[in-house]
Amino acid sequence: MMSNILKATKLDFALMKQYTKSILFTIFFPIFFTLLNRSMLFGISFAMCFSSATSSYTFSICEANNMERFYGILPIKRSEFVLGRYLLIILQGVLTITVSIILQLLALRIVGENVQMHQITSAFLTGIFLYSTYTAFLIPGFYKYGSIKGRVFLFFPTLGFLATLFILPKLSLKIPAVSIALNSPAVLFAVVFVSIVIMYFISMCISVRITEHKEI
Amino acid sequence: MKLIISNTSGIPIYEQIKQQIKAAILSGELKEEEALPSLRTLAKELKISVLTVTRAYTELEQEGFVKNVQGRGCFVMGRDSGLVREQLLLKVEAGLTEAITASKIARLSKEELHHLLDILLEANADE
Amino acid sequence: MSNYLEVKDLSKSFGNFHLKNINFTLPKGYIMGLIGPNGSGKTTTIKLILNMLKRDEGEIKIFGLDNIGDEQKIKYDLGVVFDSSYFCGEWRITQVRNTMSDFYPSWDTGRFSEFLRRFRIPQEKKVKELSRGMQMKLMLASAFAHRPKLLILDEPTGGLDPVSRDELLQLLSEYIEDGEHSVLFSTHVTGDLERVADYITYINDGQLFFSGGKDEFMDMFRIVKGGTYELTPLLSEKALGIRKFSTGFEALVKTQDLAGFPSLCAEPASIDEIIVFTNKRGENDE
Repeated sequence: MMSNILKATKLDFALMKQYTKSILFTIFFPIFFTLLNRSMLFGISFAMCFSSATSSYTFSICEANNMERFYGILPIKRSEFVLGRYLLIILQGVLTITVSIILQLLALRIVGENVQMHQITSAFLTGIFLYSTYTAFLIPGFYKYGSIKGRVFLFFPTLGFLATLFILPKLSLKIPAVSIALNSPAVLFAVVFVSIVIMYFISMCISVRITEHKEI
Repeated sequence: MKLIISNTSGIPIYEQIKQQIKAAILSGELKEEEALPSLRTLAKELKISVLTVTRAYTELEQEGFVKNVQGRGCFVMGRDSGLVREQLLLKVEAGLTEAITASKIARLSKEELHHLLDILLEANADE
Repeated sequence: MSNYLEVKDLSKSFGNFHLKNINFTLPKGYIMGLIGPNGSGKTTTIKLILNMLKRDEGEIKIFGLDNIGDEQKIKYDLGVVFDSSYFCGEWRITQVRNTMSDFYPSWDTGRFSEFLRRFRIPQEKKVKELSRGMQMKLMLASAFAHRPKLLILDEPTGGLDPVSRDELLQLLSEYIEDGEHSVLFSTHVTGDLERVADYITYINDGQLFFSGGKDEFMDMFRIVKGGTYELTPLLSEKALGIRKFSTGFEALVKTQDLAGFPSLCAEPASIDEIIVFTNKRGENDE
């Protein structure tokens, strides 16, 4: 089961290779945003929003090349292909946030900005939370409607990005629960991780259901 | 042995194979106990259906020209085998009948015809 | 098990297309041609066999196993070629090789390279840079390289020139020679492929017209020809299809009905002719 999922991840990765430039762009471009605002939180939010939008690539490559037929003949289960794709997208998220944080940290240092640890933590947690929310929402949409029609769901990361940009800072000041969480890293980590796991679990279940009923 | 398949003759392929193998057996080109090419090899070489070759071989067996030894292949029956001999006799009869018909048209007498046959037999024996 | 593929009472509907009660059996060691005009249900049948489409009713067994219950196990031993490439166009041949070898434990890289050489496929090219015929050969090479027991080809001859068609024929004959491999191919241009097929399954407008030995199929029908005045009402009734022209007619009849028309010139029908004539009947009925 696990080895099949890894095979599927590898296959999807082979499709993504041609888009390496776009993925690097999602990592480098937000640095300017960070420098402009002198804020890592916004830079990371932007990077993760950007990056989540590239989760449509595997879907659009498959569609453009009529590759459902290839997936259809290979000796692994449809659910394993779905989970393999999730794994690749999750790995991409982990990679993006790690590299982005390091690069942005360096960039901020260079312009003489002093970054506090709690700023990194909150940027990291916000980043992975946003990325997971976006992709967990987008992927079933792509499975259901394809990458072209599913693209309308991209409004979600965009909205989410705007929301984090304008609403979250104000929100955190007004709601006591949020500020408690923000002040206690352990609680914050727990809350974020649990919600990510739940979101992906639900999302995966929906995607598997969609593909098992799909006719190709 | 030579096997040539024609796509345009209108004769079914299995029939073409049968006729040519029969001819090869009757002419002595295929000797007694000689093995026919295996079903699947022949099908591959002629690029035709395995079932088509199977049908040709089965009918040849029914007509007594070959025998099928399970797991070993098809072998040519001896020319003394009753059925093959019968086929040969039929062939002789057919040839002679044709000769008689032609001799009637040519108004050859019975003696002249016999004489002609003797000469031909002698000439043939010399060869 | 002696049957590599068994299809029983297979039905599938979508929109106004209905595939109804398809039955056929392909024994181990033989080649079956799945024939019929475009849109008759050949690709649908193949996709149902591969569980890419979900059947409404019926049963499909491959190597004696259920095609859904044992899907993964079956697919290890299945080679599939479609009418157009299913690989990513951006991939180089090496990527095709790497991906295929990940999925098939029986993958044989040496064999793959051998087929690439045999097909003269340049190894450094991208899939999208190959011609359609070459893409088909690439799928064929990658199918053969994992030594499948059953090969399924959907319209394999599209995009192939006569030389390549002959090559394919040769390959299929070689493939089944040991009696351990079978081939199911669909096509709407029969021609030379009909020569290697042991069995024919003819689907017309979603319905099974015939499935069985090819020679038997071809023996079932004859073409009769004659002058216009010889086209009697009885013949019109018995004929499965008639083509009339100013100086006469051609009709497809069942061989068993031939005795009723001794004066007419009868000859064997090609598979193409059988398809054309039996299909015309369908149009006249509507």
